[in-house]
Amino acid sequence: MSEDLVRAAATATPTWKHPGVVANHRLRKVRSLIVGGLCVACVVAILLPLGDMLYMFAYRGLQVISIARLMGSPISSTPGIGNAIVGTAILTALSGAIAIPLGILGGVYMAEFSSGGRFSEALRFAADVLAGVPSIVLGYVCFLAFVIYLNFGYSALAAGIALAIVMFPYVFRTTEIAIRRVPESIKEGAIALGSTKTTMINKLVLRFALPGIMTGVLLALGISLSETAPLLYTANFANYNPTSLFHSQLGYLTGVIYLFYTSNLPFDVQLSYLATFVLIMIVLVLNIVARIGLKRFSKI
Amino acid sequence: MMNEREVSQPAAPQAQSQPSGPSNALIKLVDFSAYYGNLEVLKHINLSIDEKRITVFMGPSGCGKSTLVRTLNRMNDGVPGFRTHGQILLEGQDIYAPEVDPVLLKTRVGMVFQKPNPFPISIYDNVAFGPRIHKLTKSKVELDALVAESLQKAALWDEVKDRLGKSAWGLSGGQQQRLCIARALAVKPEVLLMDEPASALDPGSTSKVEELMVELKEHYTVVLVTHNMQQAARVGTNVAFLYKGDLVEFGPASDVFENPKSPLTEKYIRGIL
Repeated sequence: MSEDLVRAAATATPTWKHPGVVANHRLRKVRSLIVGGLCVACVVAILLPLGDMLYMFAYRGLQVISIARLMGSPISSTPGIGNAIVGTAILTALSGAIAIPLGILGGVYMAEFSSGGRFSEALRFAADVLAGVPSIVLGYVCFLAFVIYLNFGYSALAAGIALAIVMFPYVFRTTEIAIRRVPESIKEGAIALGSTKTTMINKLVLRFALPGIMTGVLLALGISLSETAPLLYTANFANYNPTSLFHSQLGYLTGVIYLFYTSNLPFDVQLSYLATFVLIMIVLVLNIVARIGLKRFSKI
Repeated sequence: MMNEREVSQPAAPQAQSQPSGPSNALIKLVDFSAYYGNLEVLKHINLSIDEKRITVFMGPSGCGKSTLVRTLNRMNDGVPGFRTHGQILLEGQDIYAPEVDPVLLKTRVGMVFQKPNPFPISIYDNVAFGPRIHKLTKSKVELDALVAESLQKAALWDEVKDRLGKSAWGLSGGQQQRLCIARALAVKPEVLLMDEPASALDPGSTSKVEELMVELKEHYTVVLVTHNMQQAARVGTNVAFLYKGDLVEFGPASDVFENPKSPLTEKYIRGIL
């Protein structure tokens, strides 16, 4: 190397003092601030309407809230949404009782017992497609199949089945994913101790995968609580409590919200607000319980 | 026990020497071969594993030592395309015979893995897992005693006796591996297979595990897979050297390391293979 080059190299400015690098550094800082600010603005833009909406429903809902209003029904002496709360509870319990065990068992099968061939690929694809079918379409199909063809009539059972079909893919897929996350080394350790596959699944895998499975279950419950269209098709709507699983309509919170909001009777509109508020509270409590539960389980 | 699989013709005679000494052969591999699909990964292995000794399987990567040790407790059964020829006799009974229950076999032949794999539950529950699923004890008191005994045998009791209820994942790597050993011992196996049990541990923990192995051979038959020749020389009674699925040499550790019969063995020992 020539002496000039050597001299130039020895006296050159270090990279971090180079004017181009310094300018770039300042530019980076500015860009970072701008993008950060935009992100915060987006979050605020989403939270503001949410907060406003929650405030409105809390305000209007709490205006009419009382024990009497939370019991009874729209046609009792003190109009209330009691029967709607009971109806929602019945539908959630029914659909949960069908979708949750089936979804978990299906997810366990897919993760642990299927051979990964074309059948399981097809099954997974079918579940994903099912999750994408609009719930009103599922409701209509259940109307034709259960209300009419199997002659259940407008009933809690038909609605429960419709909701279960809506919920199933979520539990199914999240369970499979949660179980696949269990490390192979843990399963090997159990097998090496002389555990059968079922014991390993029951005593270790499900326990390890529980947070993931619970997330799926809660997601599915949240979805079932928010459905309206399939319920209208399969359970119609009633202002009283159902007397049987078949041929007996029932009320539910989302139905109150939908049907009463456009009513001419001002009191119905107020019940609609109350139902919205109660439903929001239920979803909130569900999420809080879920987080506490998950935290305790994740302490493993 | 009749083996109904076809026994193929043995290949060229292999270097094998039966070690002398007062121990019986607990496990005998008789012309044993293993395949993944069409790939022959173990070729006509004949060797004996002596009772209450440490038998070491040694060899370069890919020689089949891990596969071989996993055939001893049928851990390879689930692998698609895996099949075997020949016999592995545990106290005279072929463990690959159709009437043998692989689940029960694993209570006689336990295993410790290279990477410690404690379950995400308490230390107590980890050790108690095996006894619970096999219903080995009749009362909590008996189970407590079994857990304590297993942890003592694994040289871990003193370190964890005050925190048995804490999660096993809070232990250090060396402690976790000793916990896995305790967990395997709790099922009271006859044989303990150890697949490179110290390779994921720091030197301090490694020497603890090696000391443990020497103590364990008083009561259990140990089969050790290692790529660490010094470890093999330190703890091994008998050493088997495998290369590309063949059993190249087998004999007492002193013979194999000081007077290897095969040039391959010598190259491996000198680190030039």
